[in-house]
Amino acid sequence: MAGPLKTYAFVNAKLRTRISKILPEEFIRQLIRSRSVAESVQMLAETDFHPVQRIYEQTGDIKMAELELLRKEVEIYLELEKLLEEEVRGFVKTLTERFEIESLKNAIRLWFDCRIRGRSIENAGGYLLRRTIHHSIDLDGIINADTLEGVGDLLERTPYAGIVREQAARVTEAESLFPLELALDRFLYTRLVEAGEQLKPRDREIARHLIGVEIDLQNVGWLIRFKHFYSLDTDQALKHTLPGGLNLSVDLMRESYASERADREMAALVGRRYPELSALLTSQEQVKSTARLTMIERILEQILALEVKKILTGYPFTIGIILAYFILKANEIRKIMTVLNAKFYNWPEERILAVI
Amino acid sequence: MIFTEQMQQVVAVVLDHDTDGVTKELLRLGLLHFVRITEVDRDIGPQVEEVTPRVAEAMITEIRRRIEGFFAMVDDQPPSGEDLKVEDLQAVDLEETTKILDNLSASVQTIRDRQSARQQEILRLEDIERQLQLFGSLSEVVEARSQYSYLSIQTGSIRKLLIESFDQALSDTPSVKMEIGTQDDQALLLLITMKRDETLTNRILDKFGWTDVHLPSELVGKKDQVQENLREKLELLKDEQEELKSKVESLIREKRPALEQMWTNLRLNELYARVQSFFSKTSRTVIFSGWLPSSKRPVLAEAIRRVTDGRCYLEWHQPREAEQPASVPVQMRNPKFLSPFQMLVTNYSIPEYGTIDPTPLVAVTFLIMFGLMFGDAGHGAVLLVLGLLGSILYKGARSAVRNLLHLIAYCGAAAVVAGILFGSYFGMKWFAPLWFDYHGVVAGHGGGGLVTDIYGVLAITVYFGIAVIALGLVLNWINCVAKSRWFRLFFDKGGLIGGWIYGAGVYAAVYFVRHDYRQLPDSNLLFLLIGIPVLLLTLKPVLEYSFHKPRKPFTFFTPVDFFMEWIVEILEIFSGYLANTLSFMRVAGLGIAHVSLVIAFFSIADMLSGPSGSYTIGSYLVLVAGNVLIILLEGLSAGIQSLRLNYYEFFSKYFSGSGRAYAPVSLRKKIK
Repeated sequence: MAGPLKTYAFVNAKLRTRISKILPEEFIRQLIRSRSVAESVQMLAETDFHPVQRIYEQTGDIKMAELELLRKEVEIYLELEKLLEEEVRGFVKTLTERFEIESLKNAIRLWFDCRIRGRSIENAGGYLLRRTIHHSIDLDGIINADTLEGVGDLLERTPYAGIVREQAARVTEAESLFPLELALDRFLYTRLVEAGEQLKPRDREIARHLIGVEIDLQNVGWLIRFKHFYSLDTDQALKHTLPGGLNLSVDLMRESYASERADREMAALVGRRYPELSALLTSQEQVKSTARLTMIERILEQILALEVKKILTGYPFTIGIILAYFILKANEIRKIMTVLNAKFYNWPEERILAVI
Repeated sequence: MIFTEQMQQVVAVVLDHDTDGVTKELLRLGLLHFVRITEVDRDIGPQVEEVTPRVAEAMITEIRRRIEGFFAMVDDQPPSGEDLKVEDLQAVDLEETTKILDNLSASVQTIRDRQSARQQEILRLEDIERQLQLFGSLSEVVEARSQYSYLSIQTGSIRKLLIESFDQALSDTPSVKMEIGTQDDQALLLLITMKRDETLTNRILDKFGWTDVHLPSELVGKKDQVQENLREKLELLKDEQEELKSKVESLIREKRPALEQMWTNLRLNELYARVQSFFSKTSRTVIFSGWLPSSKRPVLAEAIRRVTDGRCYLEWHQPREAEQPASVPVQMRNPKFLSPFQMLVTNYSIPEYGTIDPTPLVAVTFLIMFGLMFGDAGHGAVLLVLGLLGSILYKGARSAVRNLLHLIAYCGAAAVVAGILFGSYFGMKWFAPLWFDYHGVVAGHGGGGLVTDIYGVLAITVYFGIAVIALGLVLNWINCVAKSRWFRLFFDKGGLIGGWIYGAGVYAAVYFVRHDYRQLPDSNLLFLLIGIPVLLLTLKPVLEYSFHKPRKPFTFFTPVDFFMEWIVEILEIFSGYLANTLSFMRVAGLGIAHVSLVIAFFSIADMLSGPSGSYTIGSYLVLVAGNVLIILLEGLSAGIQSLRLNYYEFFSKYFSGSGRAYAPVSLRKKIK
């Protein structure tokens, strides 16, 4: 079995070089200040994102540029899979599956819009990520399927067939895809936790830590949706959350969801484990109760950033460098996507800054 | 050349109404590396205030960058700094410039939006193409279309007169329409749409009086024809996309002169504002300060006096008067042909002001090391040609790229010289070696010459290392004298005592080797050579303690600290110098590896030779591939190792990289 040095030395050097090329905040601010989408995209020409600029120049279509960004991110994951030793590859493969699941969800959303809601999904199929990741998925077949069971049949050779069939009745009953999306996310995170458990002790601990924060973020994201779009009661909402979170206990989530004493609990947590973020809480003291979950989401994002920073300054030959890179890269891509879309819809600078 | 350029600092006071003229003159000359007057004289702070430039530099920079963005859209560059003239500077109207750029941006965006609309059409057709690929024959589909879930293919007729508006109505729906014949005033059509759009399509068909017509399969045509039709449509749309893309380019090229003019004026105003951002003022005067090479002092003084009609006060300061010596900027003055080596030095760091600029020495040591590691005239010639060819082909490239190409050419030349000395030409012995036969030595048959075995090669590199380290020590002593660092001159690891110990160590080692590894020099001599300097080093912690301000209290542990520091210092000196010297054996290592690789490829080529012993095509292929591999792999290794030896074994002895580069505000300043 390879030691950590052999496993991570090359990847570590490669990823640290790439991390050093992640666009700085100043660049993002310049991107925000640009006057049009065309000018924003042009700024990417001198960066690693130049294919995005090339696509936009050819098509004038911001969604095609966005698709290119996504394709680029998937390529990074797949490339890393090839560079890794077998024992770590399994974990990274599971991480990559998130794109497959996201792609599947997008296709099912189109099916749902077209078949169930009767909406036009004209051209939307062109923006799907048509790249085989680990399983071959017939995206066109899914969009044109007559029923969700039919979608399940098309996914026969993938791990997702059972989930789709299982949730078909609930989707029809609720007239919403939410149960299915939730089940797919739950499947992904469960797999991630399981894959993390297969790692060596030091890696396992780091994976637990970072995935824990991600699960926290995912849970908060869901709770926000439960509260604002589905008006679920607390017990129902908590039933759908994932175990394995790092910072958010069930009690804290319950209190946050019910908007009772959540600030105090969160302040205690932040003060104890992440004193660097205390300022974030005090500046949010006056926040309305409805925005509490959003505030917690923000804090969790900062916590994730802190955890990444800790990893980058710690022992280099662990799975941490890979996770840190993925998180930083995803964050960078998210920011660019947000700015380009915001520019497309002519958002003012302040509004873009608020969501970045 | 060996020391950095002599600098002087000027503090100038001019009248307020001469500010504009002085600013332009300073910009024209491009000589001053500005410093704020408050950094020169801390007490002056309350008496002066900063000059606010007419237009903020940051705003100008942002707009200038916007214009560069437009240039980049057509892969174009802004005008060069060489073309900037202060006379062209005009007041900049940021509002008007922004308006012009906004208009241009809007025009570009309009074209991009049109491109986006075309893209939607492309996506629709691609969608149909994808769906079509999912099943086989077209006639089959027409016959039993209901069982196909994705596409709806129908044949029917409408009036010929309505064809145009029919097309119009279908334009928003992904569809392919083919005219397959006529019947009186009716056009027979094959229509392919997406089944999911059935409701919408049927509405259109009803509106245009579509009548289903059952057509024999041979009339319907083949799937290939439909696909061909689709492809043609797609090609047409993609051509339109290209056309729109080139429209953006034409638009910007058309505006290029105006953009260039705006860019030039913005750049001039930006630099003008930058110069003024270093100005401070009183009620009627303006004060500024900066560094420049001493040799340029008369030029600057004359220019300021001329612009102000002598209404100015200039005060000159020497670097030694500077409050913070590290703040004096450093100008390295090397001939142009040494710029690749200057790049190697500045990549490490900028030398401290007033110390030795190692560029010429690096040129010598780097090339000797490279030659020793890559000693083959043939391989060297390839590098030389590649370097020179690259320099010609990439004449307009960034200076770093040009320097790198020149460096490759220099390394090639060094390898050619070394190859001639070793008699190696692509691993072959075309001419007798002038020094020794490296191949013969590595292969174990000496080959004749001044060196006959591997130990001889190792000895050469160790002696070379000793020479390099000794040179580093001498340079350190010169630096210490130049900067009046007397304590360091004596007690630094690279100081006189350290050098004494190193010299003694080298003597003792050579003596030991020359006496067949059996005898060291006489113990009295050893005491004189090593014992005395080691004892002298005991003074170092004591003197440091005595001169340290504020002095630490003397406790019971202070002598213990002295002792420990002394022991550690001695260990560091002995182990450090030993490691530094032996580190040069890598030069021999790389050289031997180079020769070994050549021998290995020749052996493989021999194995592939024919029965008569003559080389086959395979042999020649192995030799060519092997030589290419050696040039790439060994060239890179030798370059890296030469650099490493310079940085860590040579520079560490004397180089203080705490300087900051002389960066005057100039029209030719690089744009960031």
